Amino acid sequence: MMATTTTQPILSIKDLRTSVSSGGQTFDVVRGVSIDVYPNEVLCLVGESGCGKTITALSIMRLLPDPPVRIRGGSVEYRGRDLIKLRRKEIKSIRSNQISMIFQDPLTSLDPVFTIGHVMTEVIRNHRDISKEEAESIGMKMLHEVGLPAPERRFHSYPHQLSGGMRQRVMIALALVLDPDILIADEPTTALDVTVQAQILEKLLEEQRERHMSMLLITHDLAVVAAVADRVAVMYAGEIVEEAPVDELFSAPKHPYTQGLLRALPQVSYKRDKLESISGLVPPPQMMPPGCFFAPRCPHALEVCWEEHPELTAGNGAKFRCFNPQPFQP
Amino acid sequence: MKRIIARSLYTLVVLFVSSVAVFYAIRLSGGDAIAARLPASATAEQRSAFRDLIGLNDPIYEQYLNYMGGVLSGDLGRSLTNNADIFDMLLEHGLNSFILGATAFALVFVIGVPLGMLASVRRNTWVDNSVMTFAVGGMAVPNFWLALLAVWLFASTLGWLPSAGCCSPRQLVLPAIVLAMEGIALTVRMTRSAMLENMEQDFVRTLRAGGLSETRIVGKHVFRNALVPIISLAGLRIGQIIGYALVVEVIFGWPGLGQVLVNAVLRRDYPVAQFFSLVLVAVVVLSNWLADVGYTVANPRLRKA
Repeated sequence: MMATTTTQPILSIKDLRTSVSSGGQTFDVVRGVSIDVYPNEVLCLVGESGCGKTITALSIMRLLPDPPVRIRGGSVEYRGRDLIKLRRKEIKSIRSNQISMIFQDPLTSLDPVFTIGHVMTEVIRNHRDISKEEAESIGMKMLHEVGLPAPERRFHSYPHQLSGGMRQRVMIALALVLDPDILIADEPTTALDVTVQAQILEKLLEEQRERHMSMLLITHDLAVVAAVADRVAVMYAGEIVEEAPVDELFSAPKHPYTQGLLRALPQVSYKRDKLESISGLVPPPQMMPPGCFFAPRCPHALEVCWEEHPELTAGNGAKFRCFNPQPFQP
Repeated sequence: MKRIIARSLYTLVVLFVSSVAVFYAIRLSGGDAIAARLPASATAEQRSAFRDLIGLNDPIYEQYLNYMGGVLSGDLGRSLTNNADIFDMLLEHGLNSFILGATAFALVFVIGVPLGMLASVRRNTWVDNSVMTFAVGGMAVPNFWLALLAVWLFASTLGWLPSAGCCSPRQLVLPAIVLAMEGIALTVRMTRSAMLENMEQDFVRTLRAGGLSETRIVGKHVFRNALVPIISLAGLRIGQIIGYALVVEVIFGWPGLGQVLVNAVLRRDYPVAQFFSLVLVAVVVLSNWLADVGYTVANPRLRKA
């Protein structure tokens, strides 16, 4: 379901800055990220490990381990309210109820000493004033919906009695049981087997469509992006470097980093002798160059790229952060 | 379940082996078992006849078999020093020891667990620092010295509590606290570190994402996870308390099993020393077995899937 430009975003992140303190130093790991999430869309946030995508997601839900990670500025607007300014009690009532999150590692993300049903019931009754029995039947129905085999029995199971794929289904059930508007999925399939990955993605997409929910999917896997995204935002060194509808991003990427990522992807349609990689490394967060953060690794860097930091500029449907965009050659 | 049965069998083996060990060790410790029973004027023949009478001249394995046969059929024998029935002694002194030990055991958790939780939720504040200083002190100070200190301060100087005797609640306070101190200190440290460790776990983030309150997450989920190691080591606390009870009972003049055992060993009163040692071994072994069962109950991952 494509977002149209006329609809209002349901979640609007503006100039989000999040910093990490370590050893007496504080540096930004998210450097002014702005993204809009529209109703009913799947927006993928892509980037390599450490680029700040998980921190961005946790910032939205205010789930950062503070200290050492703190939101330093910006806003996250949801239904006319800035989530960053909400009081603790208010953000708690939004979590799970309106904005939900699932995490990368389903093996450690569930409380090992309580049954799945116990935790589900607890979360449901935390937000809804209903009896234990009602909450249990809602929970069981949800486990059935996410395709957990024998949900009545699994409801009374402990996490260690389930496989990784089943646990991730439980996580999805837990995240969706209160019917949120937005689901943030942080690398939901990374820890799973490839075949299970496909099933989980399918289930997530199916739920997203049926519930008319928005999904912010965080991944480093471009194959996942190609399979599920409506729009894609590419993150590099704590900022968005390119944002585009999925077809456009894959057919005509503008930013040299995005182009590099795509060239590093194995393709069946054209044969290469060797997969390309992007040369160099991401600069450490306390030593970012004054100009474009990607300049040290960019094959097309001009003098201006070393001196001025490029803004995110709108092109043809896509936005990108580059002074010298080149046509994409796969 | 399988695990519990296996542990129970193991417990029986330990009991058997320790009964043999205790029996031999006491006999190997030298000294004269019958000196107290016969007048100093008794001749060597008379002494030997008496040894024959109570079976001390039999081969040691025969003595063991006779003795265990008696114990298993309910005949515990009599004291060599005062001819008292050992079963009666067990009831009387066992009850005293139980009162002291159970009080100390309860104090370990009633004081240790809340203090450890408090330190963990107030991590790196003055509260945490004070609690941890107390805990380090509690582990470092030997209990016999702590006992003397407590008697000097609360009995002699302040006059708040009696220094010794049995068995009023006021007389129980000092020995119970002294006996519990090391256990309290260990429990504080363990609770704190288990709480902190579990607060870092991924599942806490999931519960936060579920909108649960911090009080609920820490007070219920983190605490319940932290309880696993605490319960599993509770049995060890019982063993520790029994070990220290020997010293503490003697210092505070508390007429429990420990005090009787110490006297019996000093007087080579074999039947009493043997049986009371065995009772202590049995309690320690059973408490470890209980701890294991408790650990299995506390930790769903060890139950059969």
